[in-house]
Amino acid sequence: MSQDLRRKLILKQLDKLNNNEEIPNSNLDTLGQLPSFPKKSISKEKQHTRNLKNDALQLPSWKDFFTKNEVVTLKDRNFQFNTYFTLPTSHKNNSVTYSENLTTSSSTADCTIPIYIFHHGAGSSGLSFANLAKEVYERSSGKCGCFSFDARGHGKTVPIDPTKPISYGREIFVQDFKSLITWFYQTQLIEIFSSKQNEKKHISLILVGHSLGGSICTFVHPSLDKMIRSHVLGVAMFDIVEEAAILALEKVDHFLKNTPNAFNSYEDAIGWYMKHKLSRTKTSAEIAVPSLFAPVEGDTSQVTRITNLKDFSPYWSTWFTDLSHSFVTLPTAKLLILAGDDRLDKELIIGQMQGKYQLVVFQDSGHFIQEDSPMKTALTLLEFWKRNDNTNVIIKSNWGSSTNKNQ
Amino acid sequence: MEMTDLEDIAMQDAIEEEEGTQFKIDKENGGTANSGIMKRDLNINELDEWISYLMKCETLSENNVVQLCDLAKSILQKEENVRNVNVPVTICGDIHGQFHDLLELFKIGGPAPDTNYLFMGDYVDRGYYSVESVSLLIALKCRYPDRITILRGNHESRQITQVYGFYDECLRKYGSANVWKLFTDLFDYLPITALVDNKIFCLHGGLSPMIETIDQIRDLNRLQEVPHEGPMCDLLWSDPDDRGGWGISPRGAGFTFGQDISEQFNHTNDLELVARAHQLVMEGYAWSHGENVVTIFSAPNYCYRCGNQAAIMEVDENHNRQFLQYDPSIRPGEPSVTRKTPDYFL
Repeated sequence: MSQDLRRKLILKQLDKLNNNEEIPNSNLDTLGQLPSFPKKSISKEKQHTRNLKNDALQLPSWKDFFTKNEVVTLKDRNFQFNTYFTLPTSHKNNSVTYSENLTTSSSTADCTIPIYIFHHGAGSSGLSFANLAKEVYERSSGKCGCFSFDARGHGKTVPIDPTKPISYGREIFVQDFKSLITWFYQTQLIEIFSSKQNEKKHISLILVGHSLGGSICTFVHPSLDKMIRSHVLGVAMFDIVEEAAILALEKVDHFLKNTPNAFNSYEDAIGWYMKHKLSRTKTSAEIAVPSLFAPVEGDTSQVTRITNLKDFSPYWSTWFTDLSHSFVTLPTAKLLILAGDDRLDKELIIGQMQGKYQLVVFQDSGHFIQEDSPMKTALTLLEFWKRNDNTNVIIKSNWGSSTNKNQ
Repeated sequence: MEMTDLEDIAMQDAIEEEEGTQFKIDKENGGTANSGIMKRDLNINELDEWISYLMKCETLSENNVVQLCDLAKSILQKEENVRNVNVPVTICGDIHGQFHDLLELFKIGGPAPDTNYLFMGDYVDRGYYSVESVSLLIALKCRYPDRITILRGNHESRQITQVYGFYDECLRKYGSANVWKLFTDLFDYLPITALVDNKIFCLHGGLSPMIETIDQIRDLNRLQEVPHEGPMCDLLWSDPDDRGGWGISPRGAGFTFGQDISEQFNHTNDLELVARAHQLVMEGYAWSHGENVVTIFSAPNYCYRCGNQAAIMEVDENHNRQFLQYDPSIRPGEPSVTRKTPDYFL
């Protein structure tokens, strides 16, 4: 009980933080002058926005990974969502630096602009994708966009009216996500792509979800507005298999018992996550782990966990039901990246053996694929876009003398 | 060395030729230094002994695998990219380490060499007995080189086997990756397609936009790891599709091809049929593209959980085709492989 009270207090504090510190800074950028991650200017910015807590001095900030941090107030959802994004900057220069290894070839001038929309899993946060978003952006030479956010009950996302009942059922997460995608599309993307320079450009949305987020990506697809859905090029899920997830839910209580909710400092929290291999890449852990904790009030460096996973337990049964079948039958390109080994359930095995989706296994990665293997994941996501860039991929053929255009 | 029939002579030829080209192979692929000596020791009796041993789902010793792979290499490297096969022959699809179902296949189709067999790849991965299954098939290939054809599937690859089980199984059963390396090095030598009486074109995956005629396959250099793109990749990865033309494969490798493509390919190459494996089909076989393409899948209840039937296709002297379906074999029980669930999966 007391822990819950403390958590609520902290969330209030966070709310203040959200409104007073982060947002004014982020609004300084205008759409026309987005920085393309020049490293020197980032380190200058770092100094500015560093948390005042001593222990946080060495830690990176969201600005090292995204260009914008906006709080999106969605009254009908009763939440203020903390979002991070980077819009594509180099539409003119279409050279893509990652290695092209498809037989398909497309003239880069005709490529769509890929926008990766991320949804984290339960107990994580939008910054879980920070390192990946930066990799993807840089490897595409600023050609792609990225959007990530803290889902309800996570990070710096807070309810507008906390006295109203709050649900964490899958459909609720799906509706939140749908609203945010719509907001992002209507307020950020449309503007950019209606500019003269890009009037012939099309955007491709790639929905990318980790764990529970993968389930939400799969289920949001059919519920998106027709126009937005027509822009969706594919859905990618990271380390989520319905059967294994449902089995693992039985063990969550055990996991929670062994997972501390408070640490003496952010560094301690990062150290614990690294030690227990929940995050295996230091640069990712340094940005992702602190976002799960809030400083304890008073003259202390102590931090406490923001999300109470136990709050979610009544909703667990809704999260993964029918996921595998729904994923395999989605009418769009599909990518599943698993960590460790291939522990597919029946639906996914049949789907894979019938060639319904692309399966990639990162054996050296832990559950948090985007944190553990940001580079490999970025390359896989860029290749996924490139390969499935429907409107433009031309399949080279030497049959007769004709070239077959993909339909 | 005792030589008893034509196959033995074929093997003798192969061995002699192998010795002639030994230097080249060693230079290119780092062949085992003592392979020459070991090969000379191999005789038919020994092979028969191994086969009867393998039939009991036992594994060969590592040394024997060295010998077996060397002999197989000498036979396979003489085979063309497009292997000519005569009727009658029984055409089989994916096996995937389901050893007991492979024995069931031989029960249904008849024992080798009474029945000629053409296997279209994917012998390893996912099932629990990849080592035993692939050892048996290679031993049969060595014993009856003209009666057994084994093609390469997309799982006969170093990269894929490291992810889907064969590598781990070798490590578990032999204590090192040596045997995995021996087999995967051998896989480079497997032919990639076969042509049954110039009428049925057999391969693991499907057609390629870069391969319009079968002669174009003959020009490929197949002695390599399965590439990520290009014609050899496509032949091992592509799938037929309801949509016409060429399409992007959802698998991330190869392409999809429509009925128009299959019809054109069969017409251009004067074929009756493309027979391929690669896709799980619930009845064990499935026609597509107006009987221009047939898919054959020979691993019943795939992964011990998919509930599918398996099938093989008999083609007799008169080119009559008959499908034989079968269910999973009854066996004492699979080894209990505990699938560890992750602690944290939210």
